[in-house]
Amino acid sequence: MNPESLLRPHPLPTHTPKCTAGCPILDGFLHGGIPCNSITEIVAESGCGKTQLSLQLLLTAQLPIALGGLSASSLYLHSEFPFPFRRLQQLAFSHPSLRNPLDNILIHPLHSADHLLDLLSRIDSALIKPPPQTRFPIKLIVIDSIAALFRSEFDNNPSDLKRRSGLFFKISSKLKAQARRFGLAVVVTNQVTDNVSSSDGMRIGNSGWLYSSGRKVCAALGLSWANCVNTRLFLSRNDEIIGEDDGDILSTRTRRYISVVFAPHLPKSSCEYVVLREGLFGVNNSGAIVVQQNEL
Amino acid sequence: MEIASLPISASQRAKLISAGYNSISSLSSVIPAQLARDLGVSENEAIAILKVASQRGGVERPHESHLAIVNGAQSAWDMLHEEEACKRITTSCSDLDDILGGGISCKEVTEIGGVPGIGKTQIGIQLAINVQIPVGYGGVEGKAVYIDTEGSFMVERASQIAEACIKDMQEYDHFLRKDLPGCQAKLTSNDFLANINYFRICSYTEQIAVINYLDKFISEHPDVKVVIVDSITFHFRQDFEDMALRTRLLGGMALKLMKLAKKFSLAVILLNQVTTKYSGGSFHLTLALGDSWSHACTNRIILYWNGNERCAHLDKSPSLRSASAPYSVTGEGIRNSASSCKRARIT
Repeated sequence: MNPESLLRPHPLPTHTPKCTAGCPILDGFLHGGIPCNSITEIVAESGCGKTQLSLQLLLTAQLPIALGGLSASSLYLHSEFPFPFRRLQQLAFSHPSLRNPLDNILIHPLHSADHLLDLLSRIDSALIKPPPQTRFPIKLIVIDSIAALFRSEFDNNPSDLKRRSGLFFKISSKLKAQARRFGLAVVVTNQVTDNVSSSDGMRIGNSGWLYSSGRKVCAALGLSWANCVNTRLFLSRNDEIIGEDDGDILSTRTRRYISVVFAPHLPKSSCEYVVLREGLFGVNNSGAIVVQQNEL
Repeated sequence: MEIASLPISASQRAKLISAGYNSISSLSSVIPAQLARDLGVSENEAIAILKVASQRGGVERPHESHLAIVNGAQSAWDMLHEEEACKRITTSCSDLDDILGGGISCKEVTEIGGVPGIGKTQIGIQLAINVQIPVGYGGVEGKAVYIDTEGSFMVERASQIAEACIKDMQEYDHFLRKDLPGCQAKLTSNDFLANINYFRICSYTEQIAVINYLDKFISEHPDVKVVIVDSITFHFRQDFEDMALRTRLLGGMALKLMKLAKKFSLAVILLNQVTTKYSGGSFHLTLALGDSWSHACTNRIILYWNGNERCAHLDKSPSLRSASAPYSVTGEGIRNSASSCKRARIT
């Protein structure tokens, strides 16, 4: 049993490998993208773009390392049905440099938390030796969404809650061990719940500033699950009134923000983004977006 | 106590008295060979006499502190001196150092707990860097062992904090040692990273194994001055069917860590998560692992949010009163809270 050196070999000795988000502004915000060897959680209410972002990662993971990708295949486990094939295909068109990108994405449905745990303990062989139809080893696992697995099955009584939090730690421990062993980036999406008790002084994470659609929300699954993830990102949307005329609202505009709730390597910050046909893009301070076409 | 009360033969007693050994305490510092010479008896006999004397002496305390009789014991006076000589590791936040009596104390186990995102890992990384501050800058100049059970240790973050630490040292050089040319800190952030012995743990059996192995590891690397476990809790929260087993394992681990802290005079930092506890008709937050675990650590610091400000509360300490202090997590690491500069200090 020996300690490992923190200094990795050339070229970036003090950098954790990361998977680009496919946009220079978002990458700047995330200091390079989604980190490998740990679990990143994306929390958002429905319609904010968490599935968009996770689909986009399936494609950017295939980019060569020189372009910020992992040159890897990915595994997409979905508990929300149906799987958005058309949207994935549409996004794939905006990555013309990738050859048959859909071949390198493995998709599997999830039906329950126990099903997920069972599946995770059986995928080791696929992580060691990638399936024949893919060209790259698997380096990205996306679970969309973890909340859907837990929100239906468990009652609100002590024994179910205890079983539930036990499962959280089991799943997280398994994912972290695999992330570590195979250098995987693990992305988990989560839903939100309304934060009704605001004045009892009990704060979970930085929940004070989780506002979306004008409601005060916090990530679903509670405190135990919050202990299970390394990085928590929060996507929010707020409708903003533009062009008011004598009290009549002429039109509204939705502004979306991605924020760091907690992360070991990122400061508390946020960044505006837009969802376009080509994918999800960050907006810089001057209101511009950068759409890159990566040519090989 | 008199020689007369010893259960030895009358002739031995007479020999002892005639040789000038009047009390049992006078025998405590004598080696068998010398006693044999003084009494004119065989060495084996002398050993037997000393054995009887030491057994007797152990029951009734001698007047002076004789370490040979009360083996391994230490007077409180000596301990006080040792504690005063013992260095502390700064947290880089002077308000936090103040309530801790100057920093994290070596030789003791300190538990730090709080909600996700409060900065537990940040404090862990900060201490792994700060333990390496050279003696010339008021540091301990030791190395660190970082046991990562959660995978939250980020090398780039450690490197960032190390850079900030080097910058602080250079500033110190600039202000206080202007007249000494060439007295620049030659350390680089990679030197700092190289002195962190990093263990990544993926199950509770591995965690127990690495803690058992630490004794050997630190004997071989005596310059290790801090052991950080981030977090002690994670692998023990997957449904342990047998809670009694969990309590026993945790108790055993705590004892080993305490022994380690004492033996090598190093600081042990255990990071803990929080959980909700139901008592008195309402839920409140408490550190995880239960009541029996709360006895395991010598010091306990709870981190919490006070409005939008991070605060640390010293909850348990054998020598310091409980107190709270605000702190903040910045790009450079743990620092004083911005608001504490403006606040009028009332003490």
